[in-house]
Amino acid sequence: MRFSKTIPSAFAVAALFAFAPSFTAASNTSIDDEESPGEEEGEDAEDEGPETHYFAVVGADVYTGTGEVLRGATVLAKNGKIGAIGYDIEIPGLDYQADVSSVDRGYTSEVLDAAGYRVYPGMVAIESSGLLGTGGDFRDSVDPFGQNMILGLSTGITSTGQSNTAAKLKRYITQDPPVDYDFDGVILRDDCYSNFSWGSGSSRRSLREKLVRASEYMREYRQWQIDVKNDKELKEPSKKGVDNSVLEVLQGTVLAKFRADNREDLLGIARIAQEYGFRPVIDGCREGWTIAAELGRAGAFAIVTPRDRRDKSELLVRDGGSSIENAAILHAAGVQIAIKPSGRGVSLGGITGRDIMHLPVEVGFAIRGGLPEDAAIASVTTVPARMMGVSHRVGSLEVGKDCDLIVTDGDLLHYQTFVQWAVIDGQVVYDKQDELYFAHIRPRAETEIAPLRRLDAGENEDEDGEDADVDDADDDKKDKKDKQKDEDDD
Amino acid sequence: MTLTTLLLAAMPVSALPPVTPDLLAIKVGKAETIDQGTLEHAVILIEDGKIVMIGEDLPIDRGIPVLDRDPEWTVMPGLVNAYSRGPLDSRGGNDSTPELRASGELFLPEDFYDEVLELGVTTLGLYPAGNGIPGRAVAIRTKADTAEGLILKDDAYLKIRMRSSGSAKKLLKKGFEDADDWIEKEAKAREKWEKAQEKAKKSKKSKKKDDKKDDKKDDKEDDKRVAVPVASAPDDEESTEYVAPEKDGGAEAFLQLRERKLSALIAIGQASDYLHLLDAIGEEEFDWDLRIPITSELNIFNVKTEIGSRACRVVMEPQLSQHPNTMRLRNLPMELSEAGAKLVLIPRDDSVRGHEAWLRNTGEMVGYGLDRQAALRAMTLEPAELMGVGDRVGSLTVGKDANLIFFESDPLEPGTRVKAVMFEGEFVTGEVKL
Repeated sequence: MRFSKTIPSAFAVAALFAFAPSFTAASNTSIDDEESPGEEEGEDAEDEGPETHYFAVVGADVYTGTGEVLRGATVLAKNGKIGAIGYDIEIPGLDYQADVSSVDRGYTSEVLDAAGYRVYPGMVAIESSGLLGTGGDFRDSVDPFGQNMILGLSTGITSTGQSNTAAKLKRYITQDPPVDYDFDGVILRDDCYSNFSWGSGSSRRSLREKLVRASEYMREYRQWQIDVKNDKELKEPSKKGVDNSVLEVLQGTVLAKFRADNREDLLGIARIAQEYGFRPVIDGCREGWTIAAELGRAGAFAIVTPRDRRDKSELLVRDGGSSIENAAILHAAGVQIAIKPSGRGVSLGGITGRDIMHLPVEVGFAIRGGLPEDAAIASVTTVPARMMGVSHRVGSLEVGKDCDLIVTDGDLLHYQTFVQWAVIDGQVVYDKQDELYFAHIRPRAETEIAPLRRLDAGENEDEDGEDADVDDADDDKKDKKDKQKDEDDD
Repeated sequence: MTLTTLLLAAMPVSALPPVTPDLLAIKVGKAETIDQGTLEHAVILIEDGKIVMIGEDLPIDRGIPVLDRDPEWTVMPGLVNAYSRGPLDSRGGNDSTPELRASGELFLPEDFYDEVLELGVTTLGLYPAGNGIPGRAVAIRTKADTAEGLILKDDAYLKIRMRSSGSAKKLLKKGFEDADDWIEKEAKAREKWEKAQEKAKKSKKSKKKDDKKDDKKDDKEDDKRVAVPVASAPDDEESTEYVAPEKDGGAEAFLQLRERKLSALIAIGQASDYLHLLDAIGEEEFDWDLRIPITSELNIFNVKTEIGSRACRVVMEPQLSQHPNTMRLRNLPMELSEAGAKLVLIPRDDSVRGHEAWLRNTGEMVGYGLDRQAALRAMTLEPAELMGVGDRVGSLTVGKDANLIFFESDPLEPGTRVKAVMFEGEFVTGEVKL
C-alpha cells in the first residue's frame, strides 16, 4: 500500500480547500467538520452512528473533471458524499482508530488502494436505454442485478439519462445486516427537459405562440409583484393559456430540448432561443458546424454523435452535410458538447463498437476531429450533468458532490483502457475481477495491488491483505473466475 | 428373509387387506420422522387413524395386530405438495381478487387425487389461478367422499404475484390502503352509531347511564386498531345493535394478513423482484413466504443472504439452474437452504407424472449437495406448516394423522419403490399382509 504523505504543491491544496473552507492544512485534516475524531474517540463513536460509512480511494492520479490532476492523491467520502480530495487526508479507521473494531468506533471504513491507476468522475451518459431495467418509473422497475447495468458500469457510466429522467446505475450490495435498497437514490432527477418539436411549420408556430403567451405572463407577474406592494387587494395575473413547460423553460428551471440536424432548423432554434432568452439543447445537430457561431451566441447545448454521417445537399451552394470536426467547431464557438454513441442500448449481437458500451470510443472520434481532450472528457461528465440539471450531484469530483467515480488502468478515452472499479455513492459497485465479462482480459495483478480492504481491527493484524470475512461472496467470485478460465480455454 | 420376499412377490396382488384394524402396530427398519430425525427399528402404534405412539424397539402388547416389516421397509410421512393446481384448470386474470377461494373450485370424482395418493401424496395445497392477487389456497386431503370432505384447511395462504413493475407493487400497496380505508370507515360508522345511541338515551335516561356509556366508548376505541367488528352488547332493551360496515373482499384479506390470521405466499421471478417486494411491503408487518420458480438463468442467489436472514419459506422445484450467461450449474434450493431459508420443494411438473418423479428429482438435489433431512422436510413438514396444517400432517409425531409411505429402501434412492401407502390409518395401496 502506498499512502502519499508528501508535502503537496501549494496550488493543489489551495484549489481543493477552496471547496471546503473549514479544512485547514494541518496534519489532522478530517472530513468531520464539527470535531476531530482523532482527539475524542469515545464521543465520536456515539455521534457517528452505526450507519456512517467512510470510503477512500488512495494512491491514484485523480482527474477531478474540473481541470486538476492530483498525482497520488486521496479521495475520501463520508456516507456517499465526497468530503475531501487531496493530500495528507487522514482516513478514519486507517490513520487513527485503526486498533478499534468497527463496532466500537461506530462507523465502517473501506479503502481502495488504487496506486498506479487513475481516478475519473463516473461518466454521465446523456442518453441510454435498458441500463437500469425495462423502463417506466425506475423506482418501480429498476433491476439492480441486471447484466446491462454491470456492462454500463464496466464502460465507466455511473449515471445516465433515459427519456426525461436522470438516474444512477446503483447496484444492490449485500451487507451484513442487510440494508434496504435505496429505490429513491436511483433517481437523480425526473423531468430533466421540456421536449419541443421544430419539425413542421405548425409546431414552430405553436411554440412561438406559447412563448409569446408565457413571456407576456411573466411580464404581467413581475409588474404585479411591484404593484401589489401598494395595493394589497390586487389580483395575481391569470395563468390562463400559459403552457407550463414553456414557462419553466423561460424561468430557467428546465432546458428546452429539440431534435434537429438541418442547418435551417438549427438556425431557427438558435434565433428563437436568443429572442426569448432560453438555452436550447439540440439533439443531433449534424450541420451545426455550419452555423456554429449562431448556436454559440444562443448558448446552445448540443448532443452529437461524431460518427454520424450525412450527405451535403448538392443543390445548395452553402456548407452542409456532416463533418468529423462538428464537435470541435461547435466547441470552439462556445456550444457545450455532450457526446452519445449511435446505439442507445447494450447490443450483444451484430457489429459492436457503436452501442452505449463504446461511449469513450465515440468520444475518441470527436478528438480525432479536433475536440480538445478536456472538452472531450467534459462531454461525457460535466456537460451532460449540466444539461440534465444534476451537475450539483454528479459529473465531477468536488467536495460535497456524490462519490461517483471510476478507477481506470489508463487514459479514460484510450481504446485499451479498462474500468477496474466503479464506485457509486461511496460503494464499490463494479470490480472488473469480480464480474464475468472482462476479468480474463489483462487480469489485474492481485499480488501487487491489494484488493479492496475492509478495515477492521481484527483484519488489520494479518498483513497479507487476504480477506477472511467475505467467504460467501468469494465463493461466487471464485466460481465466476473458474468459469472465466473455462472460457479462456475456448 | 429372501424367502419371505419371494413368497410375497409370488402372491396375487388382490393384496389390499379388506379392513385395516382400528389399532395397529407397525414395525419397520427405519422411520424418517422429520421432526425427530431417523429412528432405527421403529415401532409406530396407530389408533383410529392417528399416530398414538412412536419410538425405537418399543414393546408391543399382546393382542395388537402387528405389521412387521423390520428391517426391510423404511417409512416416512405422506408427501405434502403445497403448491399445485391439481386437476383444476389454470386460466386466471391479472386482477386483485383476494377474497376468492380455491376451495370453491373443488369437485369430485376426480382421478387425479387417487393417482397422486397412490404415489404417497396425502396432502395438497391448491392455489387459485391467475397473476396479480388471485386469492386464497386450500389445503386438501387427497381422499374423501365429498368435495367438502377434501378440505383440510381453507385459507391456507393468500397467493400474491410480485414483479419489478409499478402495477404489481401498486396492487399490494392498494390492498393495505383498502384495509386502512375500511378501518377509518368503521370508526366513523361506530362514532355515528354511538352518538345516535347517546342522543336516544339522553332524552330518556338518567345521567348515570351516560357515564357508563362513556366508559364503554373508551374501551371500544382501544378495540378500533384491531378492527374486529364486535356487535356491542346492548345496555338496555332499547339500543339497536351496532352493525359494522361491510368490508369488501380486498380489505378483509389484508386485515386478516395484518392480524396474522392469514399468511401470504408471494411469487417472485428474479432477484430484483425481491427488493421491489420489500419496497412495496414497506412498514407493513405480516407473515409471508416466497414462491420462486426455478428458471434456467435464475439470479436469486444475489439475495440469498437476505432471504436466508428472514428465515422465510421458499417454494421451489427440485431442479438445477444455470448461472446467468454461463453453462455452470447452480443448486439454488441448496444455496437458499444453506443461507437459512426454509425450503419447500414441489414437483417440477404439476401433473401425475410430475408427482411420480418428485422424490427422484429431490434425490438428485441431495446428490448435488442438498442436505438430506432438509430435502425430506421440504416435501412434508415444511409445506404442511406453510399451509398451517403442521398440527395434522407432515411428520411422524404422536397425535398427527397416520399418513405413511412405506419404501423398500431409502426414499431418495433412485429406483426406490413405494411398497404401501397409508392414509389416515387405512392402507390405500400396497402389498400388505398382517
